[in-house]
Amino acid sequence: MGHLLQYFLNGLARGSIYSLIALGLVVIYRGTGHLNFAQGEMALFATFGAWWINDHGVPLWISILLAAAGAFVVGGLIEFSLIRPAGKKSPFAVVVITIGLFQAFNSLSGLLFSGAATGLKFGTLFPNKPTDFFRLPGGATWRYENIGVLVTVLIITALLFLLFQKTKIGLAMRMVANNPESAKLAGVPSNKVLMLSWALSAAIGTIGGALVAGVNANVNLGSMFNVFLLASAAATLGGLDSPVGAVIGGLSLGVVESMVTNYPKNWLGSTYIGADTAIAAAFVIILVVLLVRPSGLFGSTRVERV
Amino acid sequence: MPIAIKESSVQHWALRCVGVAALAAVVAYLASGAAPSTLGKVTEACTLAIAAVALNLLLGFNGQISLGHSTFAGLAAFVGGYSVNAWHWNPWLSLGVACVVCFVLGVTLGLPALRLKGPYLALVTLAVAFVWPTVARKFLNQTVKASTLKGMRLKPPSWTGLSNNRVDRSLFLFWLSLALLLVAYVIVRNLRKSRVGRSLVAVRDNETAAAVMGVNLALTKTLTFGISAAIAGIAGWLAAAQLATLDENSFTILSSIKYLLALFLGGAATLAGPVVGAFTYFFVDDLLKTHAPNWHFLPGPLSKGPVASFLLGVVVIVFVFIAPYGLVGFVKAQARRIALLVPRPLRQQQAPAQGDTQGDTERTEQDSPAPAGEM
Repeated sequence: MGHLLQYFLNGLARGSIYSLIALGLVVIYRGTGHLNFAQGEMALFATFGAWWINDHGVPLWISILLAAAGAFVVGGLIEFSLIRPAGKKSPFAVVVITIGLFQAFNSLSGLLFSGAATGLKFGTLFPNKPTDFFRLPGGATWRYENIGVLVTVLIITALLFLLFQKTKIGLAMRMVANNPESAKLAGVPSNKVLMLSWALSAAIGTIGGALVAGVNANVNLGSMFNVFLLASAAATLGGLDSPVGAVIGGLSLGVVESMVTNYPKNWLGSTYIGADTAIAAAFVIILVVLLVRPSGLFGSTRVERV
Repeated sequence: MPIAIKESSVQHWALRCVGVAALAAVVAYLASGAAPSTLGKVTEACTLAIAAVALNLLLGFNGQISLGHSTFAGLAAFVGGYSVNAWHWNPWLSLGVACVVCFVLGVTLGLPALRLKGPYLALVTLAVAFVWPTVARKFLNQTVKASTLKGMRLKPPSWTGLSNNRVDRSLFLFWLSLALLLVAYVIVRNLRKSRVGRSLVAVRDNETAAAVMGVNLALTKTLTFGISAAIAGIAGWLAAAQLATLDENSFTILSSIKYLLALFLGGAATLAGPVVGAFTYFFVDDLLKTHAPNWHFLPGPLSKGPVASFLLGVVVIVFVFIAPYGLVGFVKAQARRIALLVPRPLRQQQAPAQGDTQGDTERTEQDSPAPAGEM
């Protein structure tokens, strides 16, 4: 029982990071119908930016917010200067561009920040001394760090929810997601909305990247790749056009990953089950879910007219 | 005003002959005097091209995206390499078996693909590509232990007159890779030009409409997946034969992405696209890797470190703006300003023979001068 709770809590913290990156993916997918392959690497670059600002004596949290603001601008610019003009040319162009951005941002991080390949020391965001935990019934411990990550993600999710549901901009974003042409006809500035989607997504990604770096106390060129894969899995699990799905998908994926990593290890020993195997198991679960619900748990099915 | 060239006219055949002759000249030049390292690079490019051709069949013509083709290539490399090394099979037999195994896995993966579309399918195939290196690593560590494949180092057969040294072996692999690329190309070309190929495209363009026209959706889609996987298997086997080692890291998601880029750069849904794209991608990448670190005119931090892969990303992005439908689409669009290919007129037939007229009408439609509009 103590184990179960423990693994659940650890998984929840890890899963909340997936949710955050997945949210970024969903925000873009809803607007344009594209998977942004560069989401993880854009976040990585911005995290390096946060490290750089922090290195110049700015407190870590402020430097992360500054980096997120920078990512907001860069994300919008990318949509304006690359994605939008390319989208008009051919349906494949955007996919290729995001793959190109993936490559460019990863190597740009390596070029600009010396020592990025081996890893730079990233400050911790939450108290994480060995004694910093709550003791829970059954012998489980809830580390402050895990709580901090979870709460940060929940706050951002709540803010996004407010933005989507309670503001005029959010209404416009939902309209564009629902039916781009009708939205245009109703006078929604859909170009601005799409630009905002990319900007928001980049900013959300920065927070996610910083949380990953904070938990690992390190940021390197490979930090975000697996996180991005799992986040895209989470987004797909929840349904690519559903923000609620992204959050629930991310959290449940984190919990599944944690359970699959730890339980068989208790039973069989660590030789059989490594972290990779756990991820494999997580993917199998997703495959099964998608077979039953091809548009994810909360995604909407599009009905086509012939 | 562009010149009109009738399809299958003398001019058309002359143009085709010039094209083939130019290609043959390049091959002959390479075969006669190129260094083994250059031949090795061409072989690698051919491997990439075969994989891209396989992906084109699935994604370009059938509209099913797969990021899992690295898995098929990897599986073929492992099946081929292991059977040759451990069971002393004939390498050629292992190629056949590897393709069959890939076909079976492809059909298996094609089954869930029946229910999934677009990004959801991309994710599931991505998951397969993600899982594969883990499986391969376990297999390597627990079963194979040594990763060098002595048996996979192909000996040129005696009739070629090549001896078994490094130079001749690279020449043999060069010819072999070209031959396999040709086989893959011809398979996809013949499929595309046949009734099956038209049903593939119909499924891509509108599934419901295709089903109404009598296309068996499930059979078409799973078979395409299987055939595409088998062709990707050829690429994997070739890579194993060239490297003569098994390395799970040669078949990761990044290889899948490479196949995808090669396909898009060349032009998806065109026959020549994947081949052109693969060679372009490979040699641009190679050029940047060799020379970019020496370009001291680049500003500040760009003149040191991993500048090649950054520039590759930039080149890819810029390229998309110049040629959104790939190199082949770009060349076709430019060529159309100079010369227009006029399709053969429909044959008027009083008593249509069964199944024959259908073939002709479809053919004209498919070769009408808007190939760039496909997809």
